[in-house]
Amino acid sequence: MAKAATQSATMLEARDIVHRYGPVVALDHVSITAARGEFLTILGESGSGKTTMLRVISGLERPHSVGALLIGGEDVANLPAAQRNCTTVFQSYALFPHMSVEENVAYGLKIRGVPMDERRRRVDEALNLVRLHQKSARRIGQLSGGERQRVALARAIVTRPALLLLDEPLGALDERLRYDMQTELVELHKTLGMTFIYITHSQEEALTMSDRILLMRHGRVEQAGRPEELFDRPVSRFAASFMGFENLLPCRVEHKLAGGRVVVRVAGRVFHATTVVQDALSEGSDAVLAVRAERFAPADVASDALNLLPCRPTERFYRGKYVDQRAESDAGPLRFRVWDKANSFADFAAVRCSEADCVVVPQ
Amino acid sequence: MMRNLTQRLNLGDGRWALPCFIGVWSLLVIAPLVVLIVFSFFQTQYFMTVYKPSLYTWNDLFSSGRFEVTLRTLRIALTVTLIDLAIGFPFALWLAKGKTSRTVQAIALALLTIPFFIDLSSRIIVWRPILDEHGLINNFLLATHIASAPQHWLLYTEWPVHFVMVISNFPMMVLPIYMAINVIDDTLIAACQDLGGSPFRVLRDIILPLSLPGILGGIVFTLGSALAAWVEPSMLGGGFVDVLSNSISSAYSALRVPMVAALSTFVVVLLALLLLILTLAMRRFVRFGEVFRSMKS
Repeated sequence: MAKAATQSATMLEARDIVHRYGPVVALDHVSITAARGEFLTILGESGSGKTTMLRVISGLERPHSVGALLIGGEDVANLPAAQRNCTTVFQSYALFPHMSVEENVAYGLKIRGVPMDERRRRVDEALNLVRLHQKSARRIGQLSGGERQRVALARAIVTRPALLLLDEPLGALDERLRYDMQTELVELHKTLGMTFIYITHSQEEALTMSDRILLMRHGRVEQAGRPEELFDRPVSRFAASFMGFENLLPCRVEHKLAGGRVVVRVAGRVFHATTVVQDALSEGSDAVLAVRAERFAPADVASDALNLLPCRPTERFYRGKYVDQRAESDAGPLRFRVWDKANSFADFAAVRCSEADCVVVPQ
Repeated sequence: MMRNLTQRLNLGDGRWALPCFIGVWSLLVIAPLVVLIVFSFFQTQYFMTVYKPSLYTWNDLFSSGRFEVTLRTLRIALTVTLIDLAIGFPFALWLAKGKTSRTVQAIALALLTIPFFIDLSSRIIVWRPILDEHGLINNFLLATHIASAPQHWLLYTEWPVHFVMVISNFPMMVLPIYMAINVIDDTLIAACQDLGGSPFRVLRDIILPLSLPGILGGIVFTLGSALAAWVEPSMLGGGFVDVLSNSISSAYSALRVPMVAALSTFVVVLLALLLLILTLAMRRFVRFGEVFRSMKS
């Protein structure tokens, strides 16, 4: 088993997973692969099927049907959770309340029959990694939320699994601690070289930590790719909105050009834009133009120039680092940000946006 | 958790609660018990209690062949408790964690509490026409030619006493264990499996230690009630199954109050001893402090 894990470049291969809870389809033909040492994030809202997917991988849930399920090259589709070479960090930590910190961390090794001295050494090592070695004799009830989180991590990595599954592990922490733990998790991932599969509903967490992100929706993979791809090149209206595109304007596709470029008309104005789903767009059909608030720039005159949308300023919200400006256009309400305080943006007549920052997605 | 709850409900710091409880409990329970113990050092002459301290009643208790009765009482009570534990724990486990629906659980719990609504004597007397020489079971056995003659051991022996005591005490054993297992977080079980724990390890390392308070509770309730059982031995034992409570009732009908007091004290002492042994034996496997502390966090 260990040998197969060290040889295989693909740590996880899940193909065509279907799972239902009664009439509800939780996973609708989902396929996921993770390369060795990769930090893969499964991103989605609650009910998107991301936690079900994690439970299917760990073996805590038996899927309705499986095309293939391999961990480190080994077929685990019919193995119970106990025999799979992966461990989970649970959202609620699930630490054993009747055991000490040390006993919790040692538990997986004890089950595997690791001799006492080696067990002690590896527990120390794991607790050192999460900087909790001074509290090894503590009871779980005596620990803070952040410390419990670390114990859960240590307990999961001490057996050196091929895959570490993390189910929204930072969800229960306060904001400051969550921020610190993000950095720590990334460092831990680097140190261990282990494959991490991380579940979250926070796009910010996904973007800062992952090598690759899988965006899930209604039990399907909506988009998969590097953080930059998800951030800048959404494939659908949902992906754009989930990844924080504030402006989703109705448009009509005029021409499709080579190299993923597309010409659209927004409220009569011509925009040159990009898309990663050119095949899904047909000339003359309705689509959506997605632009981030910070990528719009105010313009003084509403000329007929390309990528310019006339608008009237409405409310303005001071946010400290920037100003959140609202405006009304023929294409609907707009939101954009102005960073430069000195800039007199109060009397703008239009907004403009570069071709690279205008993304067209199907309706 | 408990502290948070107390604060939220604004129950104060509860400084008065413990003295209050000790006061009321001493007055209502401990004081009569002390009176009982004191009475056991008096004696009876011509159906009158003589209020002069002596060890006469205690001497009488141990010299009049009560040793055999004590042993029988202990044996029956322990057997019944063990059988109830052996059936009750798996049943409670199934009910609490066996993927049973809420409805099934509610129905099972309601069924378990039904005996509490019916008088003990009426519940037990119905077994007579069933187990009797000409009873339902013997009729059935004869009619189906399973047996060629009526089975006499079915009634007025130790068998029916054990059998019916197991039934009457079953809810006493199951309910505390069910409560304890029911509150064990399912993710703890998932975590154990996830770390490589077989079903046996889950049971031994997670469910058993965390449900120990419930198991202890079940044993205390069952053992206590079995040691003091009176209705089953007298109604189904037919005078052949003499237990301590029979001695108590016969001493009572002879108006020998000091003897009643001594016998009752004896039963209480026996129960306390048994529980002490049990706790010491269990301490070798589980640290109680941790289990009870873990319930707070």
